[in-house]
Amino acid sequence: MDGPMRVLVTGGSGLVGRAIERVVKEGERREGEEWIFLSSKDANLVSAEETRSVFQKHRPTHVIHLAAMVGGLYRNMRQNLDFWRDNVHINDNVLYMSQEFGVVKVVSCLSTCVFPDKTTYPIDETMMHNGAPHESNYGYAYAKRMIDVHNRACFQQYGLRYTAVIPTNIFGPHDNYNIEDCHVMPGLVHKTYLAKKEGKPLEVWGSGRALRQFIYSVDLARLFVWVLREYDEVEPIIASVGEEDELTIKDAVDAVVEGFGFKGEVIYDTSKSDGQIKKTASNAKLRKYLPDFKFTPFKAAVKETCDWLAANYDIIRK
Amino acid sequence: MDGPMRVLVTGGSGLVGRAIEQVVKEGERREGEEWIFLSSKDANLMSAEETRSVFQKHRPTHVIHLAAMVGGLYKNMRQNLDFWRNNVFVNDNVLQTAHEFGVVKVVSCLSTCIFPDKTAYPIDETMIHNGPPHESNFGYAYAKRMIDVHNRSCFEKYGRRYTAVIPTNVFGPHDNFNIEDGHVLPGLIHKTYMAKKEGKALQVWGSGRPLRQFIYSLDLARLFLWVLRDYDEVEPIILSVGEEDELSIKDAANAVVEGMGFKGDVIYDTSKADGQFKKTASNAKLRKYLPDFKFTPFKAAMKETCDWFVANYDIARK
Repeated sequence: MDGPMRVLVTGGSGLVGRAIERVVKEGERREGEEWIFLSSKDANLVSAEETRSVFQKHRPTHVIHLAAMVGGLYRNMRQNLDFWRDNVHINDNVLYMSQEFGVVKVVSCLSTCVFPDKTTYPIDETMMHNGAPHESNYGYAYAKRMIDVHNRACFQQYGLRYTAVIPTNIFGPHDNYNIEDCHVMPGLVHKTYLAKKEGKPLEVWGSGRALRQFIYSVDLARLFVWVLREYDEVEPIIASVGEEDELTIKDAVDAVVEGFGFKGEVIYDTSKSDGQIKKTASNAKLRKYLPDFKFTPFKAAVKETCDWLAANYDIIRK
Repeated sequence: MDGPMRVLVTGGSGLVGRAIEQVVKEGERREGEEWIFLSSKDANLMSAEETRSVFQKHRPTHVIHLAAMVGGLYKNMRQNLDFWRNNVFVNDNVLQTAHEFGVVKVVSCLSTCIFPDKTAYPIDETMIHNGPPHESNFGYAYAKRMIDVHNRSCFEKYGRRYTAVIPTNVFGPHDNFNIEDGHVLPGLIHKTYMAKKEGKALQVWGSGRPLRQFIYSLDLARLFLWVLRDYDEVEPIILSVGEEDELSIKDAANAVVEGMGFKGDVIYDTSKADGQFKKTASNAKLRKYLPDFKFTPFKAAMKETCDWFVANYDIARK
């Protein structure tokens, strides 16, 4: 492909999309490149026709595909059918239109939560399809796994090098902070903000013992741009801090409490589910390619996120 | 549900559909029941609108869903993307539209060829998702597996008892006898017919050593009707002869030679792929429900199929 890229980012208004927009603005953009950030207002990607229209309008050379129907643990347990169907439609529409419009490369977004439930640790990129996912979110998990199936079949039949990134738990500004539906970090950040404001205790769902690797959205964004430019494999790549940086939910709670300067009580509601107890992922493949990549220290990243929420409370998605 | 069934059979003009049509005509139909057999001429089920139209036209209470993009080993190896995409569309359209039209029960059709490649034998109904399928047909395999994902999540959300059957290798009249694209038995029948007619040797692809369980389409049809009427589980059920009746491709070739009265040489082209070496399936669940079900003896079923092919050569799909 000659000339500079024209990159379409689906899900551009979300947690990761906004982070990519920020790093592109703050220096990652190269001469002549065009970056277009789409949101659901621009097109309903569940519809093939609307997806086609938006590809026709922008004629991208590259796509970063982040759009999805997404939710935290509790929402997934109720609606596996919808998570399966809507995400399969979105993914097929974006991948198929990309192929039709001659897109050179698509980088999609998977998740460590789609990996097999019964597995050895740490998990790595070769293990994604080695067994059934966790019961709580199998609809979402299978839809995401099928992106990798599509990529491999597309490479086999047409030689296209569409690929995917597998982040661990992402957090940062511009997240979905709806307490019922969101992921653990934004949920903690929002609840701590309210607890502080209302002078009440902070109620954490679950025991606090579950283990997670967290990746700051701005770090993930830099890695997405690297994958888009330099990573040539069709097999996906895990984007995460190392195993040595795995934290408990309680560690995360402590960091958020510190980030807000919250002085009240912290209560763990153990009647609520913990979800998967661990999902430890290996970032050995990433380290092989980028041995010197520096992640933002966790407490600093949490502080930035808390500050952002406090400054933008009125406009946050909740 | 009150009153007699109105059953829509998708893929009604295919191998299994024609067999169901035959057993329904020959005595399985009950008082007041209506059976509608669709083919691709009636609707392109890859289109949501055409699927909806055909459901609107017929308003079925029950569906037997057989329609699929199907092919033998060599075609699958060339077109995994098409097998994945086209089948996901067909399946989603039929299952979703059935739900919207209040269909009481859908019985879909899976296959033992979609099971994990690396597995213990015999395989059973609980093992479908326990690992990746064989490389040669992963597109088709994942699309079929996702029928089970859809059924389970649909039951979770709406209480619908949509289910599926898992036949082993099916054979019989009205098959696709195309030598390039068809499955092993119709391919052998067609090739033996040509070898006999042209006075040449019969060339069998592969070593003849792989093992398969074969089920005659008429036996499968009778079992489909039992599943439709009396099998209440959402988890699918394997429909097959027992493990003790597993045969090698060479055994099958010998039965075809005998059925066609072929007297020439039989040559095994070992440069061609064998596909999976074995796929031994347990029919213990079926035997638990129907301990006395009698399968048509293999040689007799093969003779009937050969006779049909010879008598109907001009109209056979090839």
